[in-house]
Amino acid sequence: MPTDSSRIRNFSIIAHVDHGKSTLADRILELTGALTARERVAQFLDKMEIERERGITIKAQSVRLRYQAKDGQEYQLQLIDTPGHVDFSYEVSRSLSACEGALLVVDATQGVQAQTVANAYLALEHDLEIVPVLNKIDLPSADVNTAAEQIEEVVGLDCSGAIMASGKTGEGVDEILEAVVKHVPPPVGDPDAKLRALIFDSWYDNYRGAVAMVRVRDGTIRKGDKVKFMATGRTYEITEIGCFGPHPVSLKEMGPGEVGFFAANIKSVEDAKTGDTVTLMSAPAPEALPGFREVKPMVFAGIFPSDSADYEALRDALSKLHLNDSSFQFEPDTSEALGFGFRCGFLGLLHMEIIQERLEREYGLDLVTTAPSVVYRAHTKEGEVIDVDNPSKMPPVGDLEHIDEPIMKVTIHVPTEFVGATVALCEERRGTQVGIQYATKAHVVIVYEMPLAEVILDFHDKLKSASRGYASMDYELVGYRTDNLVKLDMLLNGEPMDALSVIVHRDTSYHRGRALAAKLKELVPRQAYEVAIQAAIGSKIISRETVRALRKDVTAKCYGGDITRKRKLLEKQKEGKKRMKQVGKVEVPQDAFLAILKID
Amino acid sequence: MSNPTAEPKKVQTSDKRTAHESSDTCTPEPLGIYVHFPWCLNKCPYCDFLSVAAERPEIPHAAYATAVIRELDRRARGLTDRPVRSIFFGGGTPSLWEPDELGRVLEAIEARFESDGAEVTVECNPSSFDRARATSLRAAGVNRVSIGVQGLDEERLRFLGRLHDGPRALASVRTAIDVGLPRVNADLIFGVAAQPPEQAIDEAERVAALGLTHLSVYALTIEPGTSFGALAKKGRLPLLDESHVAESFVGLDERLTSLGFEHYEISNYARRGEVAVHNVSYWRGRDYLGLGCGAWGTVTRERRFRYRNTPSPERYLALTDEWATAPDIDSEEIVAHGEHIDDETALSERIMLGLRLAEGIDFEEITRDLDVVAWTRARLDAAEALAERGRLLCDGNRLRLPKHAWLFADGTISELM
Repeated sequence: MPTDSSRIRNFSIIAHVDHGKSTLADRILELTGALTARERVAQFLDKMEIERERGITIKAQSVRLRYQAKDGQEYQLQLIDTPGHVDFSYEVSRSLSACEGALLVVDATQGVQAQTVANAYLALEHDLEIVPVLNKIDLPSADVNTAAEQIEEVVGLDCSGAIMASGKTGEGVDEILEAVVKHVPPPVGDPDAKLRALIFDSWYDNYRGAVAMVRVRDGTIRKGDKVKFMATGRTYEITEIGCFGPHPVSLKEMGPGEVGFFAANIKSVEDAKTGDTVTLMSAPAPEALPGFREVKPMVFAGIFPSDSADYEALRDALSKLHLNDSSFQFEPDTSEALGFGFRCGFLGLLHMEIIQERLEREYGLDLVTTAPSVVYRAHTKEGEVIDVDNPSKMPPVGDLEHIDEPIMKVTIHVPTEFVGATVALCEERRGTQVGIQYATKAHVVIVYEMPLAEVILDFHDKLKSASRGYASMDYELVGYRTDNLVKLDMLLNGEPMDALSVIVHRDTSYHRGRALAAKLKELVPRQAYEVAIQAAIGSKIISRETVRALRKDVTAKCYGGDITRKRKLLEKQKEGKKRMKQVGKVEVPQDAFLAILKID
Repeated sequence: MSNPTAEPKKVQTSDKRTAHESSDTCTPEPLGIYVHFPWCLNKCPYCDFLSVAAERPEIPHAAYATAVIRELDRRARGLTDRPVRSIFFGGGTPSLWEPDELGRVLEAIEARFESDGAEVTVECNPSSFDRARATSLRAAGVNRVSIGVQGLDEERLRFLGRLHDGPRALASVRTAIDVGLPRVNADLIFGVAAQPPEQAIDEAERVAALGLTHLSVYALTIEPGTSFGALAKKGRLPLLDESHVAESFVGLDERLTSLGFEHYEISNYARRGEVAVHNVSYWRGRDYLGLGCGAWGTVTRERRFRYRNTPSPERYLALTDEWATAPDIDSEEIVAHGEHIDDETALSERIMLGLRLAEGIDFEEITRDLDVVAWTRARLDAAEALAERGRLLCDGNRLRLPKHAWLFADGTISELM
């Protein structure tokens, strides 16, 4: 028999990055006895090493807990941990739609931040019951009154029932669980209706194939059922049903309100798309659950092996990562300078960094990643519209009517004293102010519309330094807009460095070209001949720097006491050279391809 | 003493012979001996050799000689069947050493090794070198001196922190020749601050004209860990433009070769048959026994081992002193750094060192000495590409750098390592 839905509570924890969500989740697992103290590794739910290190949840994890409430009843609590970054907001929204309630965790030492608000609004959109939790109250710098005031003013939530908690000491965790039982409504679903289950996560398992995490809305799902995925239209037979407690436990069936996983010989996670609806082939539901959409990468970059011999290894690693993360895309790409590699698409910058780090750490690859680009829409004179995710592939200026670029709505939360610096930065990045709201005396919400291209180019770092680390931001796509954009090429002795081409606004193109040429001059070592570095728009050279020819490269003294040290120096020189890439005849260190990230 | 003028030729041929001998296990490979004397009157700002500033009376002349002899006793074990072709006293400033004490060390070496006709060199500074010293050194068995002239221009000598002036430097060289030291080298430094290339070239010519047999001419190198290194890091050291340094290098080569010197190593010139046997043995990858505080040595027994002795004179003296009373104490305590050199590394070093010489290297000979494949695919490709760019001359297994490409030796060598 499926569990009585009045005893089920499905909830998630939402918070700004670093506000202690995962630690709190661990405490909940511990208190409900799901984890013994011996088993407890900090942040059990963050399975990946990188997640643990960065303190960010990337993949949603879900755990079923038994909880003996103070009312004497035993409840089945389903905790759905959500990804903690704006890059994964679609995944967050799907996870939230599997819940009836959410704990809004706010670090009492930091107060409300951009993603606190973004996540809270997302929860409200899904009609979730929100329980505010003020976390980290054990820290001396915790200021619960200010944090509570901010939640009331900025988010608009009543904080009279907010729970004071500490993930570190465990204080307040039992109150949280009581609040979940009391305030989060039990799931409503029709056991007799046709099966509809929402896929809110999936991952690849070597033995089972893709495994889907689902929330049953209506009906019952059983082992052996023949099911259909309504968005993809594919059909499968369910081979296994289970839940995590947090270790996997097999189940026979799941009824309305229940959350668990199933395996069905699904070949890849691409076939088990987040947001898809599962129904029975024998009795299909007439309508899928709402909210499904295809996730499209927004940020693209070239990933090349430092050593061309690693190309195959890179392809294997990318395929393996893709098995578990269908939002990440890749296809073969070649660059004159960097050789064979891949053009990869990511949900955002963090997503890109994580993939890059996993490739380097888990697969031991040494990579060159080119500067990130957005997807431009090039309108040609012939009336064609071409999506261009690689600036070097932009059609020639002469063929272009105009270029559109993606525009984001960027919401920034910042203490009052940094408003000036923040606004200046946004203006500099071609932002258009949408609004400034003084939410409280000290807390300001600034909203700008800004090209994504400007956001992905170290905007976050610049924002952090302009606000001494206090500002937080969130962004979402609002659409495409035409601007006066041009392609800027960099040339070495007349040969284009394809990986360095960028699309820039005409007004800043001269400045950018000069800065890039100057930066390259620092990064390109002197060679046997003079090297001309040029920045060009179309055929027009807008800036030039010269790297003078190397006149000598020889060790004057090398005797008995010098041998070991000189050998090591020369070995280092050899290693450096091995990693050089060729642009025409010019040898270029890999660093140079990241020059664009290094100019101010 | 054997006839010193005839000796280098003999040594050269004998060294060539050893190439064949080394494959013949009956005749052991010759051994060079290096003795380090760690004291100087003052520390020069560009120098990265181990030296400790001391006034002459403070130096424990006799105790240090005794210590070196004790070390010799230990290190010579199992090696005494190897002929010694060169003995080099370096520093520091070994010309500060009481010649009698230096002579005692030399005697001890000659007593333990077959060293007939060996080249015996002592590094000398003009500030601690006069007729009396030169005569005593010669009497002690020294047949070659290397004088740290460095330059003749007042201003530049001051900049380099030298205690002598130009006339004193010239006088030192003359004295060495006068007292009958058969082979004399002068060290020169060029590319200093605003030094015009012509000045460096003229200085070298003036020194060469004194009649010496050998010249070492070094481009000023800023080494980390020196006063110049620290200044340069802060951007406060005036440096000569690289193109002027290159111009000086080329001009020196032209002038000195026209004067009859053979440019046989990147920084070394010799009259015919007068190459520095000891240094050539480094560049040919031969073993050298290092003795004394801070000395480096590389010795092949079962394996090739490189070591450096403790750089602290106090510690060196104390440890060798302990050996006198407790002969069982582990000798390795004086080693501050030790590494086994495997054959691949040895090959890299042979390439690095050998290509510094005009004669270059012979891969066939190297593969006979070492258990390695010298012509790997990568090396073949690199050699071909370098030859195409005019950086390398390949004649079968013999590789050398054409003189016009010596200025780029490091890059070339690193590609072949």
